[in-house]
Amino acid sequence: MWGDMDNAFRNKIVHMGLLLTVGVLMSLPAFAQPARPAIPIDIAGEWRLENNEEDTTAQPPLGDYLGIPFNDAGRMRSDTTAESIWGIPEFQCRPHAFPHQWRGLGGARILKEQDPLTRDVKTYHIQFMRSLDRPVFMDGRPHPPAWAPHTWTGFSTGEWIGNTLKVTTTHLKDGYLKRGGPQTSDMYTMTEYITRHDDILTIVTYMDDPLYEDEPYIQSTTYYYDPASTVATETCNGSAFAENGGTDRHHVPHFLPGQNTAWKDWLKNEPGIPEEAVRGGIKTVYPEYRSTLNGSTPIASLTVPSSKSTFAVDKRIADQSPKDGQVHVMPVQGNIYMLVADGTNITVSVGQEGVLVVNTGSATMSDKILAAINQLSSSVTAQAATNKCAGADCPGIWGWSSPYINSIISSPAPSKPIRYIVNTSAAPDHIGGNEKLASAGYFPRVAGFGAAVENVGRIASIVAHENVLNRMSAPAGKQAAAPAAALPTDTYFDEFNKLPAFVNGEAVVLYHAPAANTDGDSLVFFRRSDVISAGNIFSTVSYPIIDIDKGGSIEGVINGLNQILDLAVAEYRGQGGTYVIPSHGRLSDTADVASYRNMLVMVRDRVQDLIKKGMTLEQVKAAKPTMDFDGRYGSNSGSWTTAMFLEAVYKSLKEKK
Amino acid sequence: MRRTVLLIISLALLAGTAAYAHHSYGATYDTSREIKLEGKVVQFVFRNPHSFVHVQAPDPAGAEQRWAVEWAGTSQLSNSGVSRESLKVGDDVIIVGRPSRVPGEYRLLMVTLKRPVDGFTWGTKGGETVD
Repeated sequence: MWGDMDNAFRNKIVHMGLLLTVGVLMSLPAFAQPARPAIPIDIAGEWRLENNEEDTTAQPPLGDYLGIPFNDAGRMRSDTTAESIWGIPEFQCRPHAFPHQWRGLGGARILKEQDPLTRDVKTYHIQFMRSLDRPVFMDGRPHPPAWAPHTWTGFSTGEWIGNTLKVTTTHLKDGYLKRGGPQTSDMYTMTEYITRHDDILTIVTYMDDPLYEDEPYIQSTTYYYDPASTVATETCNGSAFAENGGTDRHHVPHFLPGQNTAWKDWLKNEPGIPEEAVRGGIKTVYPEYRSTLNGSTPIASLTVPSSKSTFAVDKRIADQSPKDGQVHVMPVQGNIYMLVADGTNITVSVGQEGVLVVNTGSATMSDKILAAINQLSSSVTAQAATNKCAGADCPGIWGWSSPYINSIISSPAPSKPIRYIVNTSAAPDHIGGNEKLASAGYFPRVAGFGAAVENVGRIASIVAHENVLNRMSAPAGKQAAAPAAALPTDTYFDEFNKLPAFVNGEAVVLYHAPAANTDGDSLVFFRRSDVISAGNIFSTVSYPIIDIDKGGSIEGVINGLNQILDLAVAEYRGQGGTYVIPSHGRLSDTADVASYRNMLVMVRDRVQDLIKKGMTLEQVKAAKPTMDFDGRYGSNSGSWTTAMFLEAVYKSLKEKK
Repeated sequence: MRRTVLLIISLALLAGTAAYAHHSYGATYDTSREIKLEGKVVQFVFRNPHSFVHVQAPDPAGAEQRWAVEWAGTSQLSNSGVSRESLKVGDDVIIVGRPSRVPGEYRLLMVTLKRPVDGFTWGTKGGETVD
């Protein structure tokens, strides 16, 4: 038959066969992408928790760290953190911390968001009873920079490894491994391995928190597919102070070191559990620990296998405020942007009126900062746009389409000038760029009016508390700490200072924080954008720099943080809403400020307690009252060490008496 | 019949989840101790995840304090006949509760509540426990 065909028909069949073969071959890669299984497992649906774990329905006892590879810092942090910390206004609506969330009752719902063309899953959304929506991005996007905000749900990306979905989550707030005490830092990474076998979903979570754990903490949780179930929803709608007894809205419940011995109470009814194991630790996690129970192996000589953290936590902390000689722009909210400039944050308001800058960075960074501000101003206020209309359809009074043609053929308008500079203190990295940035700006003045200092020329207005000016200037005949062109032109001395008119369409108010880091610190509140520039009062990378000689005190810093918390309002469940820009570190919100405030209250009370016991400064240092926070905020080198911080706390508390 | 059983089980599960605390009661309160307050209701916050009764009453040293007494969530309280109208500001009440584990905190976990003027009570009948 093949031989009977004419050549043309035979060629046609060969061509068709080739085409089919090529077509099949071309389609194969689409079924063999390494990033996902041939047929992705469908994990979407309603899932019911299998309540087979102690911490799902039971009330876990305080101080139960069985199976947790805590280090000394993690144990101390957990022992001193009271469970009633939930009652502070900033935390009472927070959802469960993510390590515990899978074990919180109420079920889980997993939704999938598809690309309309390819039908690839772009994003999974995971929901629990009290949680916020938790997206898991499947499109290969990178994790945000370290200076981006942390949230209760973190930032998650997913990838398929065979039939298992691996989810990597960073940018989480501090929380707890399970209810009842064991705490996490805000620097951990959580990796989940989600596997579906028929109607069973197994989630293996791997909490990598090297600040508090000697090795990652691993747990697995099981869910059943249950299309008839639905995720319970529980709102949190109480007044902010509903859970607080007393009348102090800033009260921070906590235990002093050694005060919390609750685990001893419940151990009375659990004679088979050794106290050593209850306190956690890497040696108690492995089966080899059993050899210590019969006395055959002293625990000191017990060696166990261990897996180390997958990341360098010191670098992760430092990366929130990188000293890399660069300026990174982080859009915040409304008019506000955060410039991350070689270890110092600069808050910038950009609008049609011009630019307001809070702090000016170090002098060596001035050119780069000014270039970044000009570029930002141009992109916001003078961005070239595509033509939106043609001919007589174009609105306006200008006639035949001229504004739109001009927008295409002309170069963009120049950037708006810097109108205001606000210095939140006289710290070198707050005022270093004053001279250059002010001289590049323009605050309209009429001679003799409109400014506290006359004849300052066409420069931006520099606003600060008067103690900042006092620190920077000197009486006639003496050497001032800063050049005249860098000095504040407008100062205030009261509790607060409203800028005289709206700036870029909003009120801007400076609040004095007395005796905080120094005697001249200010907070800057952008009311419409709902952003607070916190200056040195708040940091996510170090203990606060408290300069006792310049009027600073630990109490003043705590009061300043409380003032931020009084001004700020969370959007929902204690996160978002008012954003807070620290001078050093990542963009934050009320919960982050509350955590920092809580830490300082705990440190203050611990040091105060040691002072009451009659300890000298050296004895206080030797007692290590900040041991659980030193990995997160402390330093043994550089310009502000843990020892210097402790000395400042000690001295300010001693002087208070 | 099977559907009815499933529905009942589902409702029971839902009711159970509403009573589930976000924090651990055992870790927050010293469940081995009880203290008694006699004072006036100054606020009743009927809400989720937990309700709170604020009472003005003396502390052990005799100083007047505002105490936050943690009660159950709205579902559990409703099931035991308590509504947002059940307590009024100014009511004289006697509350027995478990104190906070943290020294110096003015908060309790509700065990029993009694309003002498009309005999209203909670915490004495089956199911009337905060859990």
